Amino acid sequence: MGQDLLSPLLSSPNVETWAFYLLTTLSICLAIGVLADRVVIRSGFILIGVFGTISGIFLLLSAQFLALAQIMIYAVGITLMVVIALMLTNPRLEKEQAVVYYDESLPPLAKLFASCKRNLSLWVSVLSFVTLYSALIGENHWPLSDQAVSQDAVKVLGESLVTNYSIPFEFASVLLLAALMGAVMLAKGEPKTKDDDDSLTVVDEAKKQENNLALQR
Amino acid sequence: MFANGDEIFKISRLTIAWLTIIFTIVWMVCWGVGIAIPMLLTQQLGDQANLANEILRAVTPVIAILVFIPINAMFMVLIERRALALWTVRKGPNRVGPDGNLQTAADAVKLLLKEDITPTGADAVMHTFAPILFFAPSIIGAVPLLAAVTNDHPLFHILNLPTGIFYVLAAGALPVVALVMAGWASNNKYSLVGGLRSAAQAISYEIPLVLSLVTVCLMAGTLDLVKITQQQAGGILNWNLLGGGALVGLNQAIGGGGAKALEAAYPMGAISYVCAGLLVCSLIISFWLYLTGACAEINRIPFDLPEAESELVSGYNTEYSGMKFAIFFLAEFTNLFVVASVTTVMFLGGGDNPIPPYILDKIPGIPQMVAAIRDSFFCQTLHIINPETLFATLWVIAKVYGLVIFAILIRATLPRFRIDQLMAFGWKRLIPLSLIVFIIVVFAREFVNIHG
Repeated sequence: MGQDLLSPLLSSPNVETWAFYLLTTLSICLAIGVLADRVVIRSGFILIGVFGTISGIFLLLSAQFLALAQIMIYAVGITLMVVIALMLTNPRLEKEQAVVYYDESLPPLAKLFASCKRNLSLWVSVLSFVTLYSALIGENHWPLSDQAVSQDAVKVLGESLVTNYSIPFEFASVLLLAALMGAVMLAKGEPKTKDDDDSLTVVDEAKKQENNLALQR
Repeated sequence: MFANGDEIFKISRLTIAWLTIIFTIVWMVCWGVGIAIPMLLTQQLGDQANLANEILRAVTPVIAILVFIPINAMFMVLIERRALALWTVRKGPNRVGPDGNLQTAADAVKLLLKEDITPTGADAVMHTFAPILFFAPSIIGAVPLLAAVTNDHPLFHILNLPTGIFYVLAAGALPVVALVMAGWASNNKYSLVGGLRSAAQAISYEIPLVLSLVTVCLMAGTLDLVKITQQQAGGILNWNLLGGGALVGLNQAIGGGGAKALEAAYPMGAISYVCAGLLVCSLIISFWLYLTGACAEINRIPFDLPEAESELVSGYNTEYSGMKFAIFFLAEFTNLFVVASVTTVMFLGGGDNPIPPYILDKIPGIPQMVAAIRDSFFCQTLHIINPETLFATLWVIAKVYGLVIFAILIRATLPRFRIDQLMAFGWKRLIPLSLIVFIIVVFAREFVNIHG
């Protein structure tokens, strides 16, 4: 009986709609903030807010698991990676980019190509927006289920991942595995230099011993 | 026998007195808001008061957490300082108040009165926002735990989520962002290094931590914290620490099921027994993996590299003072408490009595005592004591604070890791170990009838 009175209030369509508009406005504002902020790291932190509001939209759609995954993977994991990468690569250098050489005497086709190349990110975003928009508009009959959301939504999600959607799932896991191995290969660095008599250098040996000691403890 | 027996006695007395005070206050507030005021309102207004009562009941858990966190942190700081002093053979705080017991109150007042400084060149907005983002998740994360540790008390029932443990993990991942933010916004090299270290450490140790909890969830077949707790009811052999339900059959056999219960739980004979043994080993390893990972997550010694005072002054909170520093401090101790509660719920059976009921009922006096409490005035009329949750809560308190004191003991015992040792230990030892344990559990659980 605990939620008898409150839950209809919370689940009434009006409140839900308002919450949706609130979250969407917030997330759009934050997304603009990400683009507009001059300090790159701060815009990285604002990105966390964007992902947080998106996870709020997931919550409105009763997708609790997805909302939490959104927070855990996107808001924390990926954004943190981005922020750290920015910190390690000194983003202030970005302004001093070389001036793009622009030749007026090129033939028109080459000019067009050059301008596309310069504004590549713009064209990619326009193209993806148009694709998504036409996909959303063109398909009139998105399958709408009138079933109530299952109490055990996590179980349903897991089952459909390993039955209906097992091929995309496996593809994603292979992709991640490849990325992981690539990361290990990149991090491994250069092979150790060896002396003429095929033994490790003194410094390397000392390092190795120290490492072993440290690990044995 | 003990050279410092006097000090041990003082600490025990302090712990018991403080815990009694804390939990009496918290429960009286909860009872007042959630039960007493609604009862009065219903008497006075009848049905009109229903909506107000619902709102009161809904805010009870939040009020409970908000009342609990500050006084709990004060207690934990005090007990940590005294216990550290005991174990490192020093004198702890002994000036303020009787036996130095008011030391943390004095510290809190000092921190609140200090000037709040934002360093030159710092990003003021983010400098302010970082402690908030650090503290908020520990409150949010404690929410579903409250339902689990009180044995699904009706007042806290709303808090239970079907994705319970995942929610706690997601909330526990957020403070890392706050540490990086604090480090960057302080405009200080030491802080920045502290923040970066904390991020690297949290990302590496999150993997064994999550994998060890996934192992438990796999055995339990659910993410729901209350269900996980209820599955473990019925004595120490049912706890997730010992095989995650693999010994339930043994427990039933001892409790009167005999050979038939053994047959039902271990249908494949010798293979099943071997698998049950493997499960017990794996889950104990998982428990240690969780404790290690959690220590690293909440930046406690031996993993307190983000604030290593001999290397980084004070790490990410070097530039913080006054209120903001107090919030960092508060959150750190709250995180320790949350981690201890998660361990209790996931591995140590939540509010379950370690002595199984078939032994407990034979001890003379105990069933009568329970019945007497159930029939008493407090229970029947005032609803101050809920017999279903009273003993559970007492056990939870004992287990959680036992783990907290264990964490303090570790802090007093172990030195700090070096950063490369830390990374090597995390990636080369813990992650492979947690993966191996996970794979063993996946296969071994097929041969044992888990949880009856």
